[in-house]
Amino acid sequence: MRRGSINKLLIANRGEIALRIIRSARQLGIATVAVYSNADADAAHVAAADQARLIGPPEAGQSYLNIAAIIEAAHATGADAIHPGYGFLSERPEFARAVDEAGMIFVGPPADVMAALGDKVAARRLAAGAGVAVVPGLETVEEHAAEQFAARVGFPLMVKAAAGGGGRGMRLVEAQAGLTEALAAAAREAKAAFGDGRVFLEKYLAHPRHVEVQVLADQHGGVVALGERDCSIQRRNQKIIEESPAPGLDDGLRTRMVEAALKVARVAGYRNAGTMEFLVDGGEFYFLEANTRLQVEHPVTEMRFGCDLVAEQLRVAMGERVGEPAAPRGAAIECRIYAEDAEHNFRPATGDALYLNLPAGPGVRIDTHLMTGARVTAFYDGLLGKLICWGADREQARIRMAAALGEFSLLGITNTAAFLRDVIASEAFREARLSTRFLERFFPRWSPGDEALESLLVAAAMVAGGALGSARSVSPGSSSSLGARNDGGRSERGGRSPWAELASFEPWGRGER
Amino acid sequence: MKLRRQGDAREFEVELLAQNRQDQPDQGDGDGRRAVRITIDGREVAATVAAMPDGTAIVDLGGRRVRVTGARRRSSIVAAAGPFAAEFIVVEGRTAHRVGGLAAPEVDAPMPGKVLKVLVAEGQAVEHGDPLIVLEAMKMETTLYAESPAIVAKICVVAGQMVDHGARLIELSPAAIPAKPPESPPQDD
Repeated sequence: MRRGSINKLLIANRGEIALRIIRSARQLGIATVAVYSNADADAAHVAAADQARLIGPPEAGQSYLNIAAIIEAAHATGADAIHPGYGFLSERPEFARAVDEAGMIFVGPPADVMAALGDKVAARRLAAGAGVAVVPGLETVEEHAAEQFAARVGFPLMVKAAAGGGGRGMRLVEAQAGLTEALAAAAREAKAAFGDGRVFLEKYLAHPRHVEVQVLADQHGGVVALGERDCSIQRRNQKIIEESPAPGLDDGLRTRMVEAALKVARVAGYRNAGTMEFLVDGGEFYFLEANTRLQVEHPVTEMRFGCDLVAEQLRVAMGERVGEPAAPRGAAIECRIYAEDAEHNFRPATGDALYLNLPAGPGVRIDTHLMTGARVTAFYDGLLGKLICWGADREQARIRMAAALGEFSLLGITNTAAFLRDVIASEAFREARLSTRFLERFFPRWSPGDEALESLLVAAAMVAGGALGSARSVSPGSSSSLGARNDGGRSERGGRSPWAELASFEPWGRGER
Repeated sequence: MKLRRQGDAREFEVELLAQNRQDQPDQGDGDGRRAVRITIDGREVAATVAAMPDGTAIVDLGGRRVRVTGARRRSSIVAAAGPFAAEFIVVEGRTAHRVGGLAAPEVDAPMPGKVLKVLVAEGQAVEHGDPLIVLEAMKMETTLYAESPAIVAKICVVAGQMVDHGARLIELSPAAIPAKPPESPPQDD
């Protein structure tokens, strides 16, 4: 792996994460290069970077997944490092290799480490070899072997793509009858999404929690863990609400899980930021997979540890050592706001942002590329933004989140904000009754309440009657939140000082560099 | 005006009856506040509306204050009330729905994407819940099902085709009556 100072960083991504990376690079005095497709010529990340290069047509396969075009853009602009963000090429070893061979720094793990961990089947083997428990599973698409495995561990089973991520190429099989079709469908989806149709079977745990550990490793053998995140609340096997710490998790279990994550990272020879994912079922935890990149939900960790994980990634990539993290404080929750219709199976939505109001306030952070006039197309992932709220404890973070979601307003694109607010405000979430089946269990058929629907119909009637309809934009957070009803619940805070945790708080890694 | 929320079978009859700046003198402190009367499915809703400089309005519905925005978009209306945003299709003027027990005479793309598979043929009888078509959007497969018994009158797309949100995919006719495609209404989007 190359090291040395980074003077100009190309960000091989788009959307909120490209903006996020540009911000940290700028704070480190590193110049930035954005790349964009024809569909993104006026996107926020293009405007934010010091330079921008067109790399292809809207189809990701010919632009954001086009390794040759991205390397060419880096050469043409004199970039000496590339950050892949998440998604797109971030977990493609051939990309990491191409960046290295082009004489540039890849901000992530070396290609061979990525290959070993990014392949779910290989990662399972590696973890098991390191003495870490894995979910009982079988590596095959062969029908007879699959049936035998099913007979042994019982249904339901989970079919997963070896190259998978983000819930794609995953299929739940409830009974023998659906097995063959699920194997075929998952392989087809995996082939389409990742260009790799290999799938494997896993025993399906009934009500597990998804808990993951953030790790950061340097090029000198230093590996640290930055706590855990509970990402149990998922739809389509994709996370939508994440939080840290994992509420109600047994301290002994947490410690053992962090040790297991560090063990896997060390055995794999991991470098840079990565995440070890586990399923927690009863008093046990099982290694699930490693994510060899920055996670979407990394801000949850940043808010608790008071650190900048992208800056840490860049420092590590330049050869610096990781320091021992400061003690975390408080609790943080993230909600992902998607361009989806939560009432109808979260199907994707598109449109133009005609009006946008972003929340603000103490402990409220929003990572988004949205702006008024922005167009959401079907070409890319529908993540509109991430709302992250920090509180001295979980309940304060939760109340802040409910209020912040109430302030969020986006006209023109059907989105999940109102749904998320109802989830955050629910008793089930307040009581942290978390499992990966949380939404099936507590929100099987969500629809907005009568009051919300009435307000919406009043708005529609006003538009129809010409009394409304010339909304103009305001800058983020500048608007008052009169429309936001703070019904997120109240807690008895018992006079606890929100500053109590400050005593143990230090800028992360101070004195180590 | 008859509105149907995108993806929702229910229809709402809404009407803006009156908006008056003068008839509420005690509300009027010169800030543009006005009273409006709206009917939703015949039920009258009274609201006080304050226009905001950014084009939004604060609507007071019996003490419940909500920031609303909205706009016309081709044949639909988009609206937002706080964090809740939706698109309404203006149904008025369209071919009447629920002919002969048919939930809807057409199947439109609920999202933009690629037609992966067409599972039915023209003239074929389908039952409630039968799969009709498989779409792929954002690398996820979504199957569209028949919402009532029907005869497939016309298939408007082929496998492999890219379709926009609202694009007509399949036209249906009532199951009991011989296949006769309904008049093609305007595109939703």
